[in-house]
Amino acid sequence: MDIDMDDVPMQDAELTPTINEETSINDHDDFQDIEFKPGSSGIADNKSNKPLELNSTNINQLDAWIEHLGKCEILSEDDVARLCKMAVDVLQFEENVQPVNVPVTICGDVHGQFHDLIELFKIGGPCPDTNYLFMGDYVDRGYYSVETVSYLVAMKVRYPSRITILRGNHESRQITQVYGFYDECLRKYGSANVWKMFTDLFDYFPITALVDNKIFCLHGGLSPMIETIDQVRELNRIQEVPHEGPMCDLLWSDPDDRGGWGISPRGAGFTFGQDISEQFNHTNDLSLVARAHQLVMEGYAWSHQQNVVTIFSAPNYCYRCGNQAAIMEVDENNNRQFLQYDPSVRPGEPTVSRKTPDYFL
Amino acid sequence: MADRDVEKSLKRTVRPGINTIEITAARELHARTVNARNPRNERAMQTTTTTTTMAKSSASFFKEPIPRHVCNSANNPPCKHCGRMIIPSPVATYPLEDNPSISINNWTITSRKRPILNSEELEDWETNKLSGLGALPEMIFGNNYISIKNVEKNWSIDFRALDALSMVNLEDSGIRVSYSKDWINSKLKTTAKEVHEDDLFEISSESLNIVKNYDWTYSTEYKGTVINYNDNDVIDFKTDNDLVLPIDKLSKPDQILFFDDMILFEDELADNGISILNVKIRVMNERLLLLSRFFLRVDDVIVRVYDTRIYVEFDENKVIREFKQYESEYNDLMANQKRVLAHSRDPKALLRDSNWVVEHIPLVKRQCEVIQF
Repeated sequence: MDIDMDDVPMQDAELTPTINEETSINDHDDFQDIEFKPGSSGIADNKSNKPLELNSTNINQLDAWIEHLGKCEILSEDDVARLCKMAVDVLQFEENVQPVNVPVTICGDVHGQFHDLIELFKIGGPCPDTNYLFMGDYVDRGYYSVETVSYLVAMKVRYPSRITILRGNHESRQITQVYGFYDECLRKYGSANVWKMFTDLFDYFPITALVDNKIFCLHGGLSPMIETIDQVRELNRIQEVPHEGPMCDLLWSDPDDRGGWGISPRGAGFTFGQDISEQFNHTNDLSLVARAHQLVMEGYAWSHQQNVVTIFSAPNYCYRCGNQAAIMEVDENNNRQFLQYDPSVRPGEPTVSRKTPDYFL
Repeated sequence: MADRDVEKSLKRTVRPGINTIEITAARELHARTVNARNPRNERAMQTTTTTTTMAKSSASFFKEPIPRHVCNSANNPPCKHCGRMIIPSPVATYPLEDNPSISINNWTITSRKRPILNSEELEDWETNKLSGLGALPEMIFGNNYISIKNVEKNWSIDFRALDALSMVNLEDSGIRVSYSKDWINSKLKTTAKEVHEDDLFEISSESLNIVKNYDWTYSTEYKGTVINYNDNDVIDFKTDNDLVLPIDKLSKPDQILFFDDMILFEDELADNGISILNVKIRVMNERLLLLSRFFLRVDDVIVRVYDTRIYVEFDENKVIREFKQYESEYNDLMANQKRVLAHSRDPKALLRDSNWVVEHIPLVKRQCEVIQF
């Protein structure tokens, strides 16, 4: 991530890019003009008016993709296009507040750490035997955003009632251009087409979920413009994440020790206090708000006297934070249990990469 | 013609992706460090001599330095002279921890790497140690440090996150993210229609309870923590702005005996850029150089680099500390470098690279200090 791209895990050597440099330079001659137009990928041009029906042909296709992706190998550009088209016909029919049954395992940020996602499924149990709810931020920062998001989307299409994937603030055109997903698509596919397809697909992701009518799940936090869950249902979510307004808040806001609504000193973004969470849970007859979005050393953290929990599922975040990751299991009786885990360690490979000494001045 | 060449080479250097040469080097380094953890044997020593290309090239240009250092940690890969070369070794298990150390003459250099603060430590920092800050950076490597100590004089200069964050200003920095005005105004449409446009921001800040009693960019003019272990013999830096660092000496490819590179804190400013404090050190037989760099980029708003360099010449027992501040409006940098950026395949990558940024923004302030022991 950011200034540390030479701090690469060693298993990445195979990914040395083979890019047709001339074409890609012409494509992006002036970076101000990077294609921003939602819908330009065409994945949503022929939307169906009813949810995708699985048949033996597309089940075989999906199973083959999942097996391929499970080995951390990318799909071809054409297959990504097929996958995204199918996913549009699943996700467009989900609700802004997607209902989810118990038992379910709730997960936080993954950020392109594909091997740790596989570790997550080992810890939590394989999907579809275990139901999963992911609260966004699948891409950026880690080195395998493409594999991670392709895998989760393929699982979603294959097992639509077993896995729920919400939208995080990183599932957006603007953010992915800065924090790695866009670059990774260019590097692995030689063009921005796959990035366009996925970012067009992100617009269809549901933004919140409601587990057994008791746990409200979302990526960021509450919004001063949202007092009831019904107000979330009224939003038009199929769009790029806006810079302000309730949809933006739901994907961006953070709980804070100070009471009431606060504004970040950055001059944008809300923080909400315990009084706000208590009121929201009371009004909507909830027991808990579960959210992701913030790094926590232990993988999960309670706040607001157990009115809010933060879950973070990217261990050793950015390959250098040394944090644990966690997921939260909710059983049939609404009992909750946290499972913590460390980064996946593969034989013979260090989990922490080192820089070679350099003659800096 | 020359310009074209420059552009061409720039294209090549900014090409994103993973450089195979670096990977190979990293693999070799890893192999070397893994070997080094085995009991010392002939094979391990051989691997060292064939893979340390840096050591080889320097050896062919310069006389073999006289071995006079002591390696203080058993957990390090071998060097030619004492059997150990000190580059913190990768740890394949958790929790990650490195605590290497080297001594040359009166000087002992130690570093330590640990994971980010856990929630208990974080709580302590939030409520006690740094209670003035509204929110702490999202990644604090609060147990990391680099320490350069003069054993004879019982004096040291350390680089630590807590001391760096203690220097963050507890006033409003005045900096706002690029879309702040729109964001704030949209919240106010219903409540402040009659208010004059210019007053909007002030009033909004009040009515919406903005937390602005600290600098959220975590800009810190931290130059290291000077510690005098003897109270009755206080040694401190004396300003001498005419001094310059001996670049000629530092440019020599003398063998590096000890190298470390660590982050003290980092925050991505809610995806509006980056604020990061990074420290790295290289110790050679006759001298050492440490660079502590604070790098701030608020997208579409500002870029800032604060560099502190510590230079120690071991035989002269002399320490030079140089502090440089660079700063530019984001748009000025974009305008100045428009041509380069427009021809870069991934211009944002350049703006993420503090080395590139520091070369293209103006120096605002420079200070130099010295201690002669």
